[in-house]
Amino acid sequence: MAMNVEVAKCTKCGKLSYPTHFYCPSCHGTKFEPVPVGGEGRLLTWTRVYALPLDYAQLYVTLGIVELDMGVRATGRLEIAEPKTGARVRTHIGKVREINGKDITGLVFTAV
Amino acid sequence: MSPPVYDWDADEYLTSEEERMIDELEAMLRPPALPMAPYPPKSVLLASGETMVVRQALVEEVDLMLKVIQPLSWVTRDFYDIVSARLFAELLGWKTHRVRDEYCLVGVIDGVLAGIVNGRLFDEKHGVSFHTLTLKRGLRVGSHLFASKMEHHIEYLGQDEVWIVAESPIGHRRWMIEYPLEKKFEVQHELGGAPAWVLTRDTYFKAKSRLVTGTRPVSDELLAKSYPLREPDLRVMLTQIEHTLEARV
Amino acid sequence: MRDVAIVGVGSTQFGRAQWSLLKMMCEASNDAIVDAGIGERKIDAVYVANMGASRNNRMAGLSSGLVDRMNLYPHTVSETIENGPASGASAIKHGVHSVASGYCDLVLVCGGERMQEVNNFEATEFVSYLSHRYAEYPYGVTLPSLAGMFTRLYMERYGVEARHLAMVAIKNHLNGAKNKKAHLRIPITMEGILTGPDALNNNPWIAEPLRFFDCCPVSDGSSAVLLAPAEMVKEFKKTPVLIAGMGQATDSQAVQDRPDPTELTAVRMAAERAFAMAKLTPKDIDVAELHDAFTILEIVESEECGFFKKGEGHKALERGETQIGGKLPINPSGGLKSRGHPVGNTGVSQIVELVLQLRGEAGDYQVPKQPKHGFAVNFGGFGNNVVATVLKRGV
Repeated sequence: MAMNVEVAKCTKCGKLSYPTHFYCPSCHGTKFEPVPVGGEGRLLTWTRVYALPLDYAQLYVTLGIVELDMGVRATGRLEIAEPKTGARVRTHIGKVREINGKDITGLVFTAV
Repeated sequence: MSPPVYDWDADEYLTSEEERMIDELEAMLRPPALPMAPYPPKSVLLASGETMVVRQALVEEVDLMLKVIQPLSWVTRDFYDIVSARLFAELLGWKTHRVRDEYCLVGVIDGVLAGIVNGRLFDEKHGVSFHTLTLKRGLRVGSHLFASKMEHHIEYLGQDEVWIVAESPIGHRRWMIEYPLEKKFEVQHELGGAPAWVLTRDTYFKAKSRLVTGTRPVSDELLAKSYPLREPDLRVMLTQIEHTLEARV
Repeated sequence: MRDVAIVGVGSTQFGRAQWSLLKMMCEASNDAIVDAGIGERKIDAVYVANMGASRNNRMAGLSSGLVDRMNLYPHTVSETIENGPASGASAIKHGVHSVASGYCDLVLVCGGERMQEVNNFEATEFVSYLSHRYAEYPYGVTLPSLAGMFTRLYMERYGVEARHLAMVAIKNHLNGAKNKKAHLRIPITMEGILTGPDALNNNPWIAEPLRFFDCCPVSDGSSAVLLAPAEMVKEFKKTPVLIAGMGQATDSQAVQDRPDPTELTAVRMAAERAFAMAKLTPKDIDVAELHDAFTILEIVESEECGFFKKGEGHKALERGETQIGGKLPINPSGGLKSRGHPVGNTGVSQIVELVLQLRGEAGDYQVPKQPKHGFAVNFGGFGNNVVATVLKRGV
């Protein structure tokens, strides 16, 4: 699984963190086990971005921050035509960008 | 009877017989013309609160435009050099009847030239977009004028398609991606270079509310203010072109 | 510890560079040296602020380059400080530390950035390196997108409307039009960018709900300040300005990771620390330069720094309190919005502008009533590294 779609679960206190930190933010532990990001969540905020780096051929991409039911927040691509804050969304893993001809996988959210 | 002695100091170099022959040659050199509907002028309220009149340029205004464009052909910034050099040639060709069915629109703010766009009819149903040159930057003058050009082809000249190529990255992002245009690589655009892209009636009407703007009719008073066309201050124009950047962090 | 004063300032024109990065920095530094009138005195240290030279200008170790170009070798201590868009204030902080500790006497801090050497898209890409390496960057997160998501949340929670954002832009463009060194000297109107018939076309989306005129431009520019111990100021010709307080704080790199993503905790903490060091409160401030890379930031920073209550910043703006003649003029120089945002240099240029205000030398955009205390926020990343500075006229 790609690095950018894993949540770190502290083996000592069970706290989930995403993105991962070297020390557990709750107990300062340093041992974690990876948990895949997934399930459903609530859309906290979103934007359609038109100011994109050169490797994009689209007019805009839709991005959002989602509060996942599993207890972490995540930024990802939205595949929702008319997003609304507070809407329920579902997590998928998909291609989110191409850098130097290499596909980058990441989180894609769709409407529930 | 001996022929009249030719007077080199008089302003006539040609005899009437010579003139008649030249006219015949000229007629052969001049392309035939398709009838073209006029572009009804419109006004656009810019971010600065200034009003820009977009109207058709007159052939009589070409000399003034050439004077404004010429110094820009040394400005390498954002490909101003190639765009102004080619636009210079196109407008000169229009004035001297060497380009077929060409038209030119200008953006005028308080009587001063702010931007130029041009193109021509390939045939009745297909148009060719030539160039977009912004003289006053930072206020999306170029974007408004390009949209007006598309409006002219589709709505007033009644065409089905406009063929477009971009010569700068700004143009590519503005036209190909923002509209968005479709690829039509089988067409050889007259500006050569990159494969052509196409704006169809369909894509035009989809993009219209987002990109095409302006108010009609323009009051006689406002329209009158856009004649005669005045040239922008050269120093201010060059500084603006060099300095202004439309990108955002 | 010694008190530290600013004895000279200088700045180039912002916008598109006429010169190479180093030449620009030499011009700004020379302006500051002439402004202070340092005579034969030797500069002990040079701190350079820059964010993108190694990527955009293919230059590294910029401070060595500047010292060489200005013939300040071999006696000078020099280094380059890269702290994202907060590099400028960070470099000043390092200068202050070295003077305060007694390690150096006369210190030159020079910020310089030449971003227009690369095209717009590369500049956007380069600034997006500030986002989190794998939780944000792969998704095409650019700084405007973080600002857009932040703005939506903030607008929904505190009733800020598009017209408030436009008011910030209009005010700062109006101020910047009076500043000869500003990048965008174009006054704009509410009709032209929000309410008129062609407004939404003049002012398209950049990252919803932020539009074109809500975002600062990509600029080139260089600024410099000369620092000296307060006990030495009599040896220089201009009114000295004391660096009364500096504070800095760091927040989570990913915006999503913050307990409340509408709070700019690092701004609040940096401001509190700067005020505590200066033994002053927000009420004492007469003029402020805030980091308005996006219009929303000026409103939110004005609240987090304690000038207005949370959720009240836009109301103060609406009442005209932040205009040049208002109760607390914010960004009289035009701010990042109109003066321009050469990323690594911005922190230095904010201090230069405040010094001009406190000396009464700002000319057309001078704040009335002889301001005594100035305040600046230099904001790095999307609020993950913030430096606040309090300045005071006289020593």
